[in-house]
Amino acid sequence: MAVAFSPLRIENLYVAYGKADVICGVNMEICAGRITGLLGSNGAGKTTLLRAVLGLTPPRKGSVVFNGMEISGLPPHKIAARGISCIPEGRRIFSKMTVEENLLMGAYMEKDRDKIRQRLERVYRIFPRLLERREQFAGTMSGGEQAMVSIGRGLMNEPKLLVIDEPSLGLSPALVNDNFRVIRQICEDGIAVFLVEQNVRQTLAIAHYGYVLAQGRVVAEGTAEELKQSEEVKKAYFG
Amino acid sequence: MDGVLLAQFIMNGLMLGMMYALVAVGFTLFFGVLDIIVFSHGDTVMVGAFAGLGTYVWLQSVYPDIDTVWVCLWVVLASLLAVCLLGVVLARGLIMRLRSSPPLNTLLATMMLGTVLREAIRLFYPDGSNPQPFPKLLPDTSWVLGGVTVRLDSVLLFVGGLLLIGGIHLLINKTKLGMAVRAVAQDSEAAQLMGVNFSFIVLLTFALGSGVAAFAGLMNGIYYNEINFSMGVLLGAIGFSAAVIGGLGNIYGAIIGGFVFAFLQTIGAVALPFSSAYKDVFAFAVVIVLMAIRPTGFLAERSSQRV
Repeated sequence: MAVAFSPLRIENLYVAYGKADVICGVNMEICAGRITGLLGSNGAGKTTLLRAVLGLTPPRKGSVVFNGMEISGLPPHKIAARGISCIPEGRRIFSKMTVEENLLMGAYMEKDRDKIRQRLERVYRIFPRLLERREQFAGTMSGGEQAMVSIGRGLMNEPKLLVIDEPSLGLSPALVNDNFRVIRQICEDGIAVFLVEQNVRQTLAIAHYGYVLAQGRVVAEGTAEELKQSEEVKKAYFG
Repeated sequence: MDGVLLAQFIMNGLMLGMMYALVAVGFTLFFGVLDIIVFSHGDTVMVGAFAGLGTYVWLQSVYPDIDTVWVCLWVVLASLLAVCLLGVVLARGLIMRLRSSPPLNTLLATMMLGTVLREAIRLFYPDGSNPQPFPKLLPDTSWVLGGVTVRLDSVLLFVGGLLLIGGIHLLINKTKLGMAVRAVAQDSEAAQLMGVNFSFIVLLTFALGSGVAAFAGLMNGIYYNEINFSMGVLLGAIGFSAAVIGGLGNIYGAIIGGFVFAFLQTIGAVALPFSSAYKDVFAFAVVIVLMAIRPTGFLAERSSQRV
C-alpha cells in the first residue's frame, strides 16, 4: 500500500451543515490504480465527505490535498480542472441533451478537438450502445443506459481521480455487474477510483482498500480482506 | 372590418409580440438558469430605453453634425452595453449573494430594485417625471402595399428582433458556451462537476437577458416615439405572463408567449364588443384562464418537478 502513489489525501477534515459537524476529523488516502471504497450506512456522512472533496460543500476545517496541491475551498469547477471527475449519485445526466452532448459536457474543459474525438471513440468502444443512441435525448433512455451515459461522461475528462457515488442504486444486478466490470477496467488504466457504496458485499468484492464511516468518523479501515472480517464493519451497519 | 385595417392591426400585433417576446426571453433565461423570477426585468427594459435616449442627447450636444446611421448604431450599442453591465452588476451584487437565502427574498429584492431603478430615472434623469420624446433614429420611409402602410422603421426593428432571437438560438444550441448554459439550467451541480464555472454562466445569462431587454426598450421607444420612467411596469408584467404561458424556462415558449399575448391584446382591441381600452384586461384575463388550463405553459419545462 505504501508504495502506491496517492493523489488524494484528506487530513483532519471537518464539514458542517449550519453549526453541526457532519464530518469530524476524517483522514483518508486514495491511491492511484486502486479502488478505494467508502462504506457506511445511510446518514454516515459519505455524500457530505464527497461533496467536500468535490467542492460542492466547502469544508469547515482540515485539508484536501490533490496531487500535492491544496484543493479544499476551491470552487467545484477549479477542482474538476485539476483532474477529479465524478459519477454522481442518481446519475445526474443532462436529460434534455443528447447522449453525445452529455459526453461532450464531460470533456468540457478539454480544448483539443482531436483529444475529445479520441475520448468519445473510447467511450463508444466501452459502451457500443451509446454510439447507437448518440442522437437520442438522454432522458428518454432506460436506467441502465443512463448509467452508461453517466459513467461515460465521467471518463471524458480523462481524470486522475474518479469519484463514483452509489453506482448500483436502482440498477438490476446484471447491470451492476457490468458497471463494476467497467469500474475495475478504469482502475487498471492507473486511475484512482473512490467508490462510495452502501452495498458492503459488492464494494468489498471489487475494492482494494476501504474505509468505514459512521457518524462522520472513520471507524475502521483496511484492505478488503481485513474489512470482510472486521467487527467494526458489522457494527457500523447493524448497530 | 375591412382587410386594410386588419392588416394594420396584424402588423401592430407583430411589433408588440416581438417586444414582449424579447422581454419574456429574459425572464425565462433567468428562471432556467437560477430558478428565480427577476421582477426588476421590466424596469431593465425602461433603463435600456433611457440609456439609448441619454446617448442620443449626449451625441447631439457633442457631435451635432454626426450622420444618423452612426447615431443609431451608437445609441443601440451604448444602450445594449450599459444594460448588459447592469445585468452583470445585478447578478453579482444581488442575485448571487441571495443564493443561499429563501427564493422569496430574491423575489422581494428584485421587486424593490425595480422600484429603485424607476425612481432613479424619475428623479435623476432631467425632467424624468414626464414622458420623454424618443428620437426618430430610423429613416421615415414607408410604402403603401395594397392600401396598407408599411413603415421601414418597423420592418427594421422587427428584423433586428428576429436577428437577436436567432443569435440567442445559435448561441444556446450551437456553441460550447450555450451547452454549458443548458447544462447549468438542467443540473447546476452536475455542470459544475464537469468544470463549468457557475458564476460565469450566471453573469453571462444576465448580460444576455438584459441586453435583449434593452433592445426591447429601444424598440418600444422608436415605435411609440415616447418613453417614460414607468413604462417597464406593464412591459414587465406582460413579459412575465408571456414567459409563464409559454412555459417558464423554455426560450421558444417565451417567444410564442410574447406573440400570443400581443395577439390577445389585438383581439381585445379589435374583435370584442367593448372599447379597446379593455384590451389589457381581456388579455390578462385570458392568461389567467390559460394558466388554469395549462399550468406548465405551452411548452412545459420540467413539468415533473412541479408536481
